[in-house]
Amino acid sequence: MIDQNTALKLQAYVDGELPSGDVRQAAELLEKDPEAKLLFEELKASKSLLAGNELELQVPESREFYWSKIAREIARQESRPARESAGVRAWWLRLVAPAGAVAVLALVVSIALKSTSLPVRSWVALSDEHEIDTPLEETSSITFRSEAAGMTVVWVNSQPN
Amino acid sequence: MSQKLDYASVDDETLVKAAQKSDMEAFEELVARHRDKIYARAFSMMRNEEEAVDLSQEAWVKSWQRLNQFQGEASFVTWMTRITINLCLDQLRRQKRFRAESIEHLEEESGGVERQMPVVTPNPTEGLERGELRRRIDEALARLTYEHRTVLVLHEFEELEYKEIAKRMGCSIGTVMSRLFYARRRMAALMAGWKREHDQ
Repeated sequence: MIDQNTALKLQAYVDGELPSGDVRQAAELLEKDPEAKLLFEELKASKSLLAGNELELQVPESREFYWSKIAREIARQESRPARESAGVRAWWLRLVAPAGAVAVLALVVSIALKSTSLPVRSWVALSDEHEIDTPLEETSSITFRSEAAGMTVVWVNSQPN
Repeated sequence: MSQKLDYASVDDETLVKAAQKSDMEAFEELVARHRDKIYARAFSMMRNEEEAVDLSQEAWVKSWQRLNQFQGEASFVTWMTRITINLCLDQLRRQKRFRAESIEHLEEESGGVERQMPVVTPNPTEGLERGELRRRIDEALARLTYEHRTVLVLHEFEELEYKEIAKRMGCSIGTVMSRLFYARRRMAALMAGWKREHDQ
């Protein structure tokens, strides 16, 4: 019985993929070994049997129906990047808009407070970097400042007493 | 003013160039021309009509998206077929239809039917008309394992070299050679079996 290695070499010979160094050896084997020759012929016949004899099939759907699914999928995939970037924009807007509004409000209030001279204030020192400022004339507002965080927050009572 | 293409009468190359400029009608014509071949390739690998239709359509969608990568080194239909093959291989891998190489190797080494089988000497397809021959070949292919059939399809129908098949299937060249050998022997045995039945 032909060993597997030899059988695979014979096949590579049939397929034209045997390294040039082994070609002569394979040819010699075919000359002196009838079993090898038979196997070689069978492999060659199998190869030529398949070549050009693939079953011809037709798509089991009409041209229009088959194409419509392709066209729809292309349209769906092409609209996806636009939708995705619009989604990311909306997400950023939702996140940034309130923070921006708070920052602007804080800025406006702090500028307004700086420009107004308030004669009497009550101060509560929380630490070296933080303080709470409550102007006596305007008890409806309380200001919190943090030097460390660089932040000023003003609470304003919209319905003063 | 640019003249509208007569899609049905121009060659693939012209259609591809138009499709590369986002001409959907040109692409539709390419699909119409080659859909049967692409479907047949998907079917030969998956052996399932529904899967073959889905995968062939997916291949067309992918090709539209990658159309600008097509440089014309091979024909358009060859390029399309390669996309289809890769999708089928991915699907077979996802579904784990390929068995572990070690199990397959053990079966082949320990002497499966193919190894013990006597060499088929008379031509088992002699006297068959072409349509019948093709049908028999298809039936024989259907009886192979996925690994053996895939190697056979890629080698005999797609004419890929051992190295290329190994790369696509993610296995060694030795495994490709071994699979191809057993697939061929099994095909020969099946064809010879039918011939015997027919002659009796």
